[in-house]
Amino acid sequence: MARRVVISGLGVVSPLGHDITTFFARLMAGQSGIKQLKLPFLDQLSTRIGAQITDFDPSAHFSKMQLTSMERFSQFALVAAAQAVADAQLELSETEQPRAGVCIGSCLGGAGSLEDGYTEVMQRDKPRVKPLSVLLSMNNAAASHISIKYGLQGPNITYATACSSSAIAIGEAYRKIKHGYCDVMLAGGAEAMLTLGAIKAWEALRTLASEDEQDAGASCKPFAQDRSGLVLGEGAAVLVLEDAERALKRGAKIYAELVGYDCSSDANHITKPDAAGQSRTIVKALHEAGLQPQDIGYINAHGTATMAGDIQETLAIKNVFGAHAKNIPVSSTKSMHGHLMGATGAVEFMAAVLALEHNAIPPTINLHHADPECDLDYVPNQGRIGLNLNAVMSNSFAFGGSNAVLIAKRFQPA
Amino acid sequence: MSTLEIIQNMMVKQFDLKLEDLTPTAKLQSLGIDSLSVIEFMFNLEDELKIKITEERFELNTVQDIATAVDQMIAAQQGNA
Repeated sequence: MARRVVISGLGVVSPLGHDITTFFARLMAGQSGIKQLKLPFLDQLSTRIGAQITDFDPSAHFSKMQLTSMERFSQFALVAAAQAVADAQLELSETEQPRAGVCIGSCLGGAGSLEDGYTEVMQRDKPRVKPLSVLLSMNNAAASHISIKYGLQGPNITYATACSSSAIAIGEAYRKIKHGYCDVMLAGGAEAMLTLGAIKAWEALRTLASEDEQDAGASCKPFAQDRSGLVLGEGAAVLVLEDAERALKRGAKIYAELVGYDCSSDANHITKPDAAGQSRTIVKALHEAGLQPQDIGYINAHGTATMAGDIQETLAIKNVFGAHAKNIPVSSTKSMHGHLMGATGAVEFMAAVLALEHNAIPPTINLHHADPECDLDYVPNQGRIGLNLNAVMSNSFAFGGSNAVLIAKRFQPA
Repeated sequence: MSTLEIIQNMMVKQFDLKLEDLTPTAKLQSLGIDSLSVIEFMFNLEDELKIKITEERFELNTVQDIATAVDQMIAAQQGNA
């Protein structure tokens, strides 16, 4: 018998703030976390903008000794996890520890340390690679630090499925509880890849947004006719997922029930998004949730602001939701927090869960003239409050064709 | 400055420790300096003292152990020069 899974804690480190209250308030206010990059190698870049975190002080959270072996993406993950654990008032007894685990998504893990190592090896005659480079850069470092800190002796898994990494981390963690392998999971994503090599690689792919001439913060324009691509960001989001019975028994605050998840592949093209594959994923997630299309009150779109991506996602939503598609508010919060890559699915699912919690939907900003092929209600420029939401959905569609959809519903005890 | 003093001062900076706790006989482990931190510290010492840390494995348990090992390396490397 499958068990019910609830969300009992949230934590975030993002370009829009480092706690969920600030994060959601800024989303609702339509504030942008995208700005001129502050990086020492700026003169080597063509792009000047990013959703960079500039107000994160590692020494406020970690000792120098700890920081010796802890990369930026792990720092983000640990701070987000600490918030989520505190928020959930989570305590694990010794007997519970083996049934508690962690799933984290990340694309490039400790990109900074890896790149420093390469630079040293490739550019110097007598390279001296930092001895802890492996531990700093390994993709599973963030999840492992979380596991160690909270004594999570169950699964400790890192997912790398590009832009859907952390949505899949959350979905797979949910299944571990649902099917009885674990009782508590910390799940989310972390990314810190605003490094010279990573940014240059993205520039070369020509999918990055050009800078808005009037306002750098307005450069990411999902669903708009004048959209020009995505804006790279960094950060982390971690959720506490818990067996509903356990949460009820200890009187935990319950944000929502995670009721539906699917991951499916386009099996089509390495970059080109595919409405058919996306539709299949949405349909299967709805089926698992036991919900009808009209039950969904808000969709947090993948909405990267690439030319092809926004059209295909619009098509996919229309395929699945039919006549109801135009009635569902769909917003891309990437317009504000940027594309956090391996962390983005978790950040966006968190935005959807907070929307449900507050009955308030954050807008898609910078949307003044919609692309005629993007003809849904994208909540342009102005958030909406005083709604009556019952279920929300978050889409994550990745390079490689790995799609993930998560659905959360207001929790009703049986 | 002696090698020991250089090491003590670097430990203060790198690990945020108090100089008075860094007595020559202080155990690295009880100072919170684990084996990984020692490796990182030796790497930084190479820069500071312009020496080459040899591949030889030393038994490093105390602050003085590091100073002794480094002095041996310096002597050996100057001898070779």
